[in-house]
Amino acid sequence: MSKPKSSDYKESEVDKTNAAVAMADKKYFRENYLPKQREFIERSFKEESGLMSMAEGRAQADTMQALTQNPNRRAVGAVDAQADLASAASAQQLQGTAQGLMGARSDQVAGIKSANQMASQTAAGLSQASKIATTDTLNKAKAKQTRNSALIGAATKLGVQAGKNYSQYRAAESINTQETKQNTDANGNVTGGDYIPMTEGAGLFKIVTGRGLG
Amino acid sequence: MSLSNMFKSTYDSMRSEQDYAGGLQNVQNPDKAFAGMLRQDYNDYIANFRQYEDKLLGMTDDTTLIDRSRENAEKQAEIAAGVQSRNLERYGGGGLSGAQLQEQQRSAQRGNQLSLAGTVNNARVQQREMNQALLQELIGIGQGVNARSLEGLGTAAQGAVARRGAYKQAKANYSSQMTNMGASILAAFLI
Repeated sequence: MSKPKSSDYKESEVDKTNAAVAMADKKYFRENYLPKQREFIERSFKEESGLMSMAEGRAQADTMQALTQNPNRRAVGAVDAQADLASAASAQQLQGTAQGLMGARSDQVAGIKSANQMASQTAAGLSQASKIATTDTLNKAKAKQTRNSALIGAATKLGVQAGKNYSQYRAAESINTQETKQNTDANGNVTGGDYIPMTEGAGLFKIVTGRGLG
Repeated sequence: MSLSNMFKSTYDSMRSEQDYAGGLQNVQNPDKAFAGMLRQDYNDYIANFRQYEDKLLGMTDDTTLIDRSRENAEKQAEIAAGVQSRNLERYGGGGLSGAQLQEQQRSAQRGNQLSLAGTVNNARVQQREMNQALLQELIGIGQGVNARSLEGLGTAAQGAVARRGAYKQAKANYSSQMTNMGASILAAFLI
């Protein structure tokens, strides 16, 4: 079992190319398309009045061409000729203004819509980035937890073994004391016995590491 | 020439000899680059478009059409008066008597006032239609803004809950493992 190498987890050529191409595309977009998008919106607001004037001018020309091309004596003498001309020209002007304004509004709305679409894409990207970051955080936490679990497991094994060693030493001590009692005559002489080999009065370190016995 | 050979020759003629992709700069930390790019995107959006968005939002009570139509109606009355006066000069008064000329003037004045009122009223109707249409578009845009903000917050909340849950789980695991270790060691000592 070999130690994991960072090279095993390195990005592949496809990953590298994908990131590089995406970055280059984004740079190109920012340098070339974003200014156009801004220009479009800017222009749609700036040229609102100009568009209306242009449409009004055309309406004016059409009206005058239609109503003043034949100024005959009857028209001059008519009571309502002037009023009719003013009325028709005003109505045509209104149509021209409305067309110009509608065109400008339509461009303005389209521009803001497209900018909002861009903002939506940014928001979707941020959501994705947030998901990636959370996954990363959770993975790191999980890895740390795995390390901690392994350490606690190891400490538990060592602790349990130390406990067992201590218990065995105490048991051996107890058995040997019993053996001494049983094999001591009336004069206090020990006459043999089956003793467990151990270091008398061993220190705690020796006991828990199992070196107090044998 | 077979079909596959034809495609091959077409492709060969279009194939770039230069490795553009190979010359691109390597992205060291794609996740960091992604986060940075998104921050910049948002900044770009605010810096470049927010002012226009606010401007458009303020146009739902616009009166441009009404104001301009009032000005235009007055201007058209002046133009029509000019046309009439030039025509009268051309035709030497058109053979009209003084009374007839006066009547013509009165008729023109009445007509101009009616035209002004009619034009402004029509402009009001059209202006309302346009403002309503703009409002409708703005509502559509607003729905998108609302949806994406909810989506973003939803993801953030999901992440927060997942992190909090993982933290609690990790704490519980740690506590359980430590208790287990203590109990096992104690038991080993007490055997």
